[in-house]
Formats: sequence, C-alpha cells, structure tokens
Amino acid sequence: MRKWTAIRPHSLLVNGVKPEKYESSGAQLLSDIYHARVKDWPKFFKMDGLSKLGFLCSELLLREEGETRPGEGEYREDRAVLLFGRTSSLCADRSYQQTIEDAQNYYPSPAIFVYTLPNIVTGEICIRNHYRGESCFYVLAERDAALMASVISEAFDDDVTDSVLFGWLDCASADEFEGFTALARRGESREAMEKDMEKMFAALRQDTESARSRSCGTLGGAEKMNEDI
Amino acid sequence: MEELIAKLKEEIIDVLNLEDVKPEDIDNDAPLFGEGLGLDSIDALELIVLMEKNYGIKLQDPSKGKEIFKSINVMADYIQKNRTK
Amino acid sequence: MPDSRSVYISGSGIVCAAGLCTREVLSTLLAGTCGIAPVRYLQTGHREFPVGEVKLSDALMCDRLGIPEDEITTRTALQGMMALGEALENAGLSREDLRSAGFISGTTVGGMDRSENCYLDFIENDSKNAYLRTHDCGSCSEMIADHFGDFAFIETISTACSSAANAIGLAAEMIRAGEAEIVVAGGAECITRFHLNGFNTLMILDRRPCRPFDAERAGLNLGEGAAYLVLESEESLRRRGASPLARLSGYGNACDAFHQTASSPDGEGAYLAMCKALDDAGLRPEDIDYINAHGTGTPNNDLSESRAMLRLFGEKLPPMSSTKSITGHTTSASGAIESVICLLALREKFLPVNYGWSTPMAEVPVRPNMDISRGTVLRHVLCNSFGFGGNDSSLVISAL
Repeated sequence: MRKWTAIRPHSLLVNGVKPEKYESSGAQLLSDIYHARVKDWPKFFKMDGLSKLGFLCSELLLREEGETRPGEGEYREDRAVLLFGRTSSLCADRSYQQTIEDAQNYYPSPAIFVYTLPNIVTGEICIRNHYRGESCFYVLAERDAALMASVISEAFDDDVTDSVLFGWLDCASADEFEGFTALARRGESREAMEKDMEKMFAALRQDTESARSRSCGTLGGAEKMNEDI
Repeated sequence: MEELIAKLKEEIIDVLNLEDVKPEDIDNDAPLFGEGLGLDSIDALELIVLMEKNYGIKLQDPSKGKEIFKSINVMADYIQKNRTK
Repeated sequence: MPDSRSVYISGSGIVCAAGLCTREVLSTLLAGTCGIAPVRYLQTGHREFPVGEVKLSDALMCDRLGIPEDEITTRTALQGMMALGEALENAGLSREDLRSAGFISGTTVGGMDRSENCYLDFIENDSKNAYLRTHDCGSCSEMIADHFGDFAFIETISTACSSAANAIGLAAEMIRAGEAEIVVAGGAECITRFHLNGFNTLMILDRRPCRPFDAERAGLNLGEGAAYLVLESEESLRRRGASPLARLSGYGNACDAFHQTASSPDGEGAYLAMCKALDDAGLRPEDIDYINAHGTGTPNNDLSESRAMLRLFGEKLPPMSSTKSITGHTTSASGAIESVICLLALREKFLPVNYGWSTPMAEVPVRPNMDISRGTVLRHVLCNSFGFGGNDSSLVISAL
C-alpha cells in the first residue's frame, strides 16, 4: 500500500493512522494542522476550503514521501497533478454569492472570486511545489476508483509525466470536507492504483463509522473507545 | 490620522487574511506591495473594494492603486482627503 | 514527434462579433473594422462595458439553423452549431463521415446563459427544469454535435481561456498517434452575466473599446462566438478525395505556476508554451511569419506576453497583433476563433491588424501590426491562448 494522507472534519490520517491528536474540527482543524505542520505559507489563509484541504493533504504527503521542493527559479514538469471531487468549487461559489446577494451591500470580492473554479486547488499545489506538468480537476458524480485509476494511468501516455499527485478532494462547506492525496508512479499497473484507492475509500468509510460511533457514545454516556485505523 | 492608520491596519489584516501579521508589524512608511507583506494583484483589488466599502471611495482605474498603496501613510492620507463616509 | 503523421486542416467555420461566417469575418478583417459595440443581446445592468456579441438573437439563430424556437438549447450551443455547420460543409464531410470522426469542443461557461435566466424558476417552480440538463459544459458539446449526426466520440475541454486551443491540440495529437482519422475541434462560448460580472470583479474590463498592447490599455472587452477546424490525416484526405487548406504543425501547453489568475511578470508560461509549439513543429523562431497574440488588453497580460515574445524572438519579433481588438475576448472559444483568423491570414495573404492601437508601451519595444495591405506570403503562424490557472497554449499553423 502506498503512502497517503487524508483529512476529514474530525481527523487527520497519515497512512491510515492519526499521527497526533487535534481537539478541533472543521475549518478550525485545517488551521490547526497548518500551524502544527506547515507554518511557512501564509497564502494558506487566503485560500478557500477546497484549496486549504488539497494544500494540506499534498503538503503532508510530500513530506511523508521525503520530497524536497525545487529551489527558487527551478521547476519540474515530470509531476502531474490530477484531482477529483464531487462538489467542485461550490463552497467558494457560495461565499462569493454572499458578497453579491444584497444590492444595498454589493461588494463582489475579487479574492473570493478567484477561487470559484475547482482547478484553482491544482494551481495552488503547482505554485507551492514548482510543478509545471499536466494538471486537471475532474468533477465526478461519486467516488469511482476504476475511473480515477484509468484517468491517472492515461497521464503516463505522454513521455514527460513520471509521477502523478492524485487525490479525491471534496469540500461541501467550510466545515464539511473530505480529501486524500497519494502518488502514482510510471510503470504501475492501473489495477494496483484502483486497489489502493479502494482501500483508501474503505479507510475513510471506517473513519466515518468510528466518528459516528464516537458521537453516539458521547450521547449515550457510554465509554465507547474509538478504534483508529 | 493616528486613529485612521490604526483602524486601517486592522482592516487590511482582516480583509487580506494576514493571519500571522500584527498591526505593529506593518511599518507606516514601508511599501505594502513587493517585499514585506507579500501581497499580490488580487490583494490590491481587495484594498480597492475596502476603500469603497468602508470609506465610499470609488476607484475606476485599478492601476491608480499602485500610487495609493505605496505605504500605510500614503493610503491613510488619500482616504482622509477623499472619503465620503 | 518527428516520425508522426502530419495533421491537415480541411475545413473551418466561425461565428463571432466580426461576422456570422468565414466570408463575413474575412471582410471585417480586410476592411480593418471592428465588431465591438455596446451591449445589445445580453440582459445585464452593466451597460457601461462594450462587448463583442454575435449579432443575432437566439431566435434568429434558431431560425437559421432550422430549429424550432421552443426547443431546449443554449446560446453557446446555437453559436457552436452555426460554426460547426460551416466547418463540416467547408470540409465536405457527410453525415456518414461523422460516424468515424471525433468532436472535441472547449467551453467553460457552457449553458450558464439559460441557467441564469431560469434561476428563479428553478427555485420557485418546475417550469424550467428542462434547462438543468443543459447547464454543464459536456451537454453543450453534445447538443452541438448531435445536431449534425453521430460522431464516433465527443469530448469537452474546460481550461478557461485556453480551452479551444487545447481541444485543437488534443485533436492533433490523436490524429498523429493514429487514434483518429478525422477530428473536428474548437470551442464555443456565449457571453453571460456570470463571467461578465466575474471579470468585472477582477477589474479587468475596459469601459472603452479595448486596446491591446497600447500604453493606455485598460482591460479587455468580453466577446462571444464559436469556431471549429476539421483536422484530418493524409490517408483520410486521400480516401475522401478532399484537399487540405493548411497544416496544424505544432502544439505546446505549459503551466505558468505563478498565480490563480495573473500571468507571471516575465511570461514564463507563455514562453514555454511558444517554445514547445515551435519544437513540436520542428521550427525555429525565425520561421514564424506572424503571431496572433493572446493580447487581452489587460495591463498584466500584454506586458507579460510581450516579454515572453521578446525572450523567444529577440530583436526579430515577427509581425504580431491581437484580434481580440476586433472580436472581443471570446474566452473558451478564442483559441479556435483566432486559429481560423490565422488560417484566413495564411490563405488570403494578409496580416490582421490590432484595431484601435495608437501608443507604444514604455516598458517594451513591441508594436503590433497596423498595416492592412495584402500580399504578405505567410509560411508559418503562431497562435497564443492563455487561461486562468496559468494554463498556456500555443498552436502553429503552416502553409501547405
């Protein structure tokens, strides 16, 4: 199983386990992970939820992979960024809508508007890591490991791409999100990618289950211990 | 003027999401763009919106922002002279 | 790809502010006039921004296409159908030929025009729900294609303002790779309140007719339209007994990796895209006889693109112009509309002018072409299209 990082409203998962405990959840969790793990990219605070999610997932993944960023003025074209999601840029679309809703208080925000496309998150990852390879964001009706693996493996059909940073990023609102990222490398079989993604989806489902049982446990007053995956 | 400068710094930090910056970190004479706060062209547009929203100043030509956002002092001075609210 | 198959252009169709068909667009270009005018068809409060609208109402477009007025369509799709119809006729493709041909179309706005007009109905009642399925980009491409027959495959590319250029690039790569014999590629996009307001939010719309590469430029004018090229392999041309118009000889795409919407000051992405396209075509900079620049008219793009051109071409910058000064910025369709304009320049031996230009920029020694005379023999022309997200593409079109 390859290395992978995932963030959900109540948990950060690195290779399926929680590396440290966070008390916060939702949008605050994203800020706390940034403060604990990243610290040196203040542009993070300007990003919409989808970009924050993708930025943090990719940042922690690349660290886990032991990669260093190319230096100032250096770029790489061999790394593609292919992301998938269901709700696209809906979260930023809604925030932007709020700035134009009221005719008496009509101040459309340029800084929010620039995030009203789903592929801005791919751009943010490319800017941070100096990637100049292929990049795309696909909007799917639901998670589909077979389709995602097929799109990723096709990226290797050119002779430039040697690896793909891929993932599922979905941000329905500031506090409701789910994302993971991982790397695929040239020469891997499509089946291997699909199999790993199925495992990641299963781990995320399990995390949802354990979060649910946790909250039920609290409600019922029972001391039900959660199982980390 | 002092009061306006202090208020302006708070507003800029808030509207540009400069989470790691405190008002005292912003030098009154230092350029807002380029080195320093690491602001970009979209931030300049947000400052134009800020001037309209909070001070009733409508800037039709965004390239004029370059002059106005030279420093906090210049910006505060411009607002003082042109504000309608 | 030195050993790969050549890609020929065997037909083209266009509709934009400069004209409703190739003949009309050519006469606008040769007359040195401009299609940008006050808002007439778009329902908007922003009457202060000039636009490059296709000079037909939706009803008149339906009429021309023989579509009942109450049929479920979008303005993007109607413009696409007009341009595709002309391209297919120009190439002499029959309904039967389409069964083995592909269709790749670029759009980002898709059916947004209908969605914004029906938005309140969507919320309050079910009377306009049929338009929900025309909203997404893919459904526009399907509507355009299905009007003419059963294409072997239909694809939609949505990379903002470089969409159509990337559609043409992908089509060419498929033909070279032997995956297709005929692919019709281009893009379609109508003006909507959605993106007019969005561009206004970014404060990059000019209240006067736009002036790309002028010292006094103050932003872009939005345009709309559609254009398609019929791209074809040599074998297919031979089989059909058809003759080509030109070759699509190079394509390059690169990411600027600089900012969500702005180009990098030195135009790195633009430079890389142009280099890749030249390399792909096996050409050197001095082989290029004309550049149809992206040239939106924003202070940022034109300076950044100028720097990229100077870096690649040095002192021997070939004649160049931005025809967005005539059509407006047709966003996702621009790569196709400007490719057709390049094709016309090549075939009719003229250099398109940069309408409305008067004052050179202080920062760079770049002056667009203002000479309307004919008789210029062009061998290779370069066409630039750059999109938000730093998605930059260049195409090379060559004489036979």
